Amino acid sequence: MTDTVLKFDHVVKRFGDRTILDGVSTTVQAGEIVCFIGPSGTGKSTLLRCVNGLETIEGGNILFEGKAVQAKQRSIIDVRRRIGMIFQHFNLYPHLTALENVMLAPVVVHGEDRKTVEERARGLFEKVRLSHRINAYPAQMSGGEQQRVAIARALATNPHILLFDEPTSALDPETVGEVLAVMRDLAVEGRTMLVVTHEIRFAADVGTRMVFLDGGKIVEEGNPREMLAAPKSERAKRFLSTISNAAH
Amino acid sequence: MPYYFSFRSIYPYLGDLAAAAQATLLLSVLAIVLSVAIGSGVALMRRSDSRLLRFTGGLYVEVMRNTPLLVILYIVYFALPQLGLRMSPFNSALIGLTLNSAGYMAEIIRAGLVAVPPGQFEAAASQGFTRVQLYRHIVLPQVFRTIYAPLGNQFIAVILASSLASAVAVEEVASWMQTVGSSSFRFFETFVIAAVVYLVLCQIVNLGRIAIGRWLFRQPEAYR
Amino acid sequence: MSAQLLTYMPLLLKAALVTIWLSWLALLIGAVGGTLIALARMSTFLPLRLLALLFTEFFRSIPILIVLFFVFFGMPLVFGIDLSPFTATTVALALHASSTMSEVIRAGLESVGKGQWEAARAAGMTYWQMMRHVIVPQALRVILPPSVGVYIATLKESSLASIIGYVELTKTGLLIRETMGSSFVPLLLLALIYFLINYGISLGGAALERRFHVNTRLMTAGAGQ
Repeated sequence: MTDTVLKFDHVVKRFGDRTILDGVSTTVQAGEIVCFIGPSGTGKSTLLRCVNGLETIEGGNILFEGKAVQAKQRSIIDVRRRIGMIFQHFNLYPHLTALENVMLAPVVVHGEDRKTVEERARGLFEKVRLSHRINAYPAQMSGGEQQRVAIARALATNPHILLFDEPTSALDPETVGEVLAVMRDLAVEGRTMLVVTHEIRFAADVGTRMVFLDGGKIVEEGNPREMLAAPKSERAKRFLSTISNAAH
Repeated sequence: MPYYFSFRSIYPYLGDLAAAAQATLLLSVLAIVLSVAIGSGVALMRRSDSRLLRFTGGLYVEVMRNTPLLVILYIVYFALPQLGLRMSPFNSALIGLTLNSAGYMAEIIRAGLVAVPPGQFEAAASQGFTRVQLYRHIVLPQVFRTIYAPLGNQFIAVILASSLASAVAVEEVASWMQTVGSSSFRFFETFVIAAVVYLVLCQIVNLGRIAIGRWLFRQPEAYR
Repeated sequence: MSAQLLTYMPLLLKAALVTIWLSWLALLIGAVGGTLIALARMSTFLPLRLLALLFTEFFRSIPILIVLFFVFFGMPLVFGIDLSPFTATTVALALHASSTMSEVIRAGLESVGKGQWEAARAAGMTYWQMMRHVIVPQALRVILPPSVGVYIATLKESSLASIIGYVELTKTGLLIRETMGSSFVPLLLLALIYFLINYGISLGGAALERRFHVNTRLMTAGAGQ
């Protein structure tokens, strides 16, 4: 039996009178790689941001490792310390070098010893294939490099789950591959990952499950390859055909 | 009667000038340091979740920006003793100058805070930073870079504005010019000397700012 | 507010008009002076450029008060020119306003693209025709909003006239304070009147900004003399 890491239970999210998430329920087991796909504006990113309390929810429950996530409570800080997040626009700290970006949270937030952290950080740079760039500032790096630093930064605190919020959407096409390659490595390591993405190929190859969201609801979920080959719902069929048309 | 320049007749007063220049400098430095502290508080108030705090902060800034410094200096100078707080002219002028400068400082710091992208706050939040850690390690270093140049300009503005302290009995450079000028009838000479003192002080701040900035921000200039 | 203070209200309001007039006059002279200096700064003749630069930098780097002291106390001694406190203040404020306005006007003129100047030249316009019909109308929308900030600054600076004994708003407040037995309350009223005038003007300036879609906040921030 596998461990349940995350449980969405009828999650509702509204912005003003617009309902973004309309009763989303699903469960994520340890080691799963869940890819969220769907038309833009259907709340995929919002769902991800609710997990670590960057957004508050208006209804339902999110359980992380058995405990309810409450965005407004102080306990949210402990939840966040066990979750790693990668943003569409990287959000690296511009005044710090790549190495300092990775080391900041372990040293400041987790109070770890600098030496230990630096050693681990260097290992992470090797993993994301950026050992030669550890002293560069974000402004001196390409988008793909910045995103790989951001991944290293998220890994530095040994998170129990990784949230990827459209990690390749802001990248130049030629650097998308290097970021996806790193994510593939992480998948092989057996990390638990939630990925919001438009990279259907990646979702099919690497994902253990695909969740299709539309209109704030889960329309369909299942094995990525099966879903891609034969979507059950009409909406998923339509969406996947537009996506694959655009890809060719 | 033609006017003959005679800097020699000013010599006896140069000792006083040194003291006066010191007062101007001390007054300005203290006012800048204190107004950074108060201005930061006001800037944070203006970003607070509380409507009342936001309004109060905004009101403070508008009042200070729209009231002459001289009037503020007079109010502090006359009101504090009446409320039972006796203090030296220097301290009273320091309070007035600080209150005024803090209004401008709050705006400078607010602009610096606004310039920190929302993504920075989110990234830090996602890593579990506490509020204090977030400001200390991520926000402040970035704000400092943005406000560094305006801070220098404000410093110069305060040096110039400190001349008004002469109106509330502080013996600084402007009051030196007036007293020495009227007792020696050498207003041109005292004007030239006072002007040079201010020019030099302003240039020191200006060049110092540039030099220190080069050293502080050796790393890439534009990092966004 | 005490009843006694109320009886002084007409006096204060009249003094407020004096302050507004004084600073308005200084701003007008400053605008003319600033235009000349801005044109000099943009001239092709190097000595003229340097002179204009020297002027702006000089008056930006010394306090208005010592300029005022020199104009009021020094001019009679040095040049034998006696100036009334009103004239002396106007001159000192106008000198400072000229240096600030020259920067505002220069920024306005430079905001008009090079292509506009060339197109006007190519159309065979004389210098004045070009300025009158092409450059100034475009520059004005960049110049006007920050000028409001300069006016507010000048209006605040006009309080310095009280130091050399000219009875404008601040001096009136100080005199009322003395007749009322040294209470500081009249000074609070004084601050309130200044605030209302300047805040009113700044709201007008904000309306101009919205109309012309330019940001003047940066230019008006800073000095607090």
